[in-house]
Amino acid sequence: MKHVRIHLVVNGEDYSLFITPNRVLLDVLREDLELTGTKEGCGLGKCGACTVLLDGRPVHACLTLALQADGCQITTIEGIGEKEVHPLQEAFIDKGAIQCGFCTPGMINTAKALLDANANPSEDEIKQAIAGNLCRCTGYNKIVDAIHSCGCQSEKEKGEVR
Amino acid sequence: MRIRPFDFKAAVSLQDALIQLDQSGPDAKVLAGGTDLVLNMKKKKILPSTVISLHSIKNLEYVEEKNGMIHIGAMAKHADLAINPILEKEVSILCQAVGLIGSWQVRNIGTIGGNLCNASPAADSAPPLLALDASVVIATLKGDKIIPITSFFCGPAQTIIKSNEILKEILIKKPVNPSAGCYLKLRRRKAVDISLAGVAFQAETDPTGKRIGQVKIALGGVAPTPIRVPDAETCLTGLCIDDAFEKIALCAQKAARASKPIDDVRATADYKSTIVNVFVQRCAQHVLTTLKNQRGKS
Repeated sequence: MKHVRIHLVVNGEDYSLFITPNRVLLDVLREDLELTGTKEGCGLGKCGACTVLLDGRPVHACLTLALQADGCQITTIEGIGEKEVHPLQEAFIDKGAIQCGFCTPGMINTAKALLDANANPSEDEIKQAIAGNLCRCTGYNKIVDAIHSCGCQSEKEKGEVR
Repeated sequence: MRIRPFDFKAAVSLQDALIQLDQSGPDAKVLAGGTDLVLNMKKKKILPSTVISLHSIKNLEYVEEKNGMIHIGAMAKHADLAINPILEKEVSILCQAVGLIGSWQVRNIGTIGGNLCNASPAADSAPPLLALDASVVIATLKGDKIIPITSFFCGPAQTIIKSNEILKEILIKKPVNPSAGCYLKLRRRKAVDISLAGVAFQAETDPTGKRIGQVKIALGGVAPTPIRVPDAETCLTGLCIDDAFEKIALCAQKAARASKPIDDVRATADYKSTIVNVFVQRCAQHVLTTLKNQRGKS
């Protein structure tokens, strides 16, 4: 099996990597780049724990070959709130939306993509968006609350600017 | 969960992909979004020696309208198709169906071409395309072939595509007269679930707008392949829209009788047939009411 060179832009930083084709993005992020914030839950695209943003869109890093991400922008949890805590992270803390924390990186990534596309999503839109992110502590109400409050927040800020 | 080693080729054009595929032998696999292929490689169900990826080929994700036909590139992603303005306007049934596939994460990378070629009997994109009488364009080294989607599926995970051919495009004839469609899918939970049974119902009026010009009904998950049910369709074809409501029950019975579901872990065959009956009724009610209201407005 020949090694292949790929280029990834992860959290704004360029990486040139020499990898075997049979590696998924999740393993390259965790093992080669040591970005262990992205979690492996089921490894089968069912739980969403490994959700990262590929060119701004949530995808399962466990079902995406690293080669498929060649030349793409990737955001992991390490890239969200890098300098200061992101409002979404703040909201998760405030609302107690974190229990064991294993689903949180994926959950935050999906929520961020949702809020980037729709600054003030309804409860139903939030539930639809995070349908692919399982929380086995079943803390969904607080997670939905957190995302909702963040949406309302950004709406309020917009109001203040006006 | 490791994937067995394989050789990887990123095709730069469709022609390049066809040549690579031809040279790689029959166990080579074409990679589109990978939500099925990579999963099956992880589970060791598919062990290709070579994987040829289409992801670097530009312009395979389009949705275009040309001369009364809608052209969809095989690499178009479910998430994009679900909100595509051309599709929403002309053939919204397809948007409804692909918007129900998997999770947002899956829809963001999974492609319509991949969903069709994976050929799950329960694939959500198949029934609406059958009900729209779509065709598929298959690229071969000798040139393109256009095949009606009704003859595309051969069995579970089997299609008419040969090992050295690639699905390139989906063609849908734009409805000429007022039309409406509805896709209903039975699932055990509201999201991220495989369809137990799917019903696609598409109807178009005749040029006067008063009668039903054509009805097409397709079922997913209740036979070895997605199927059309012509006997059920003829119950409604040619009727005045107002009269057609009375024939819905008969139409639904015929559709249920034409389905050939099996007992499996998800549900019994009896239950799936019953669901087909119920869903055809609901779809028909919805579509006929929509057509009736459209006429009221015009």
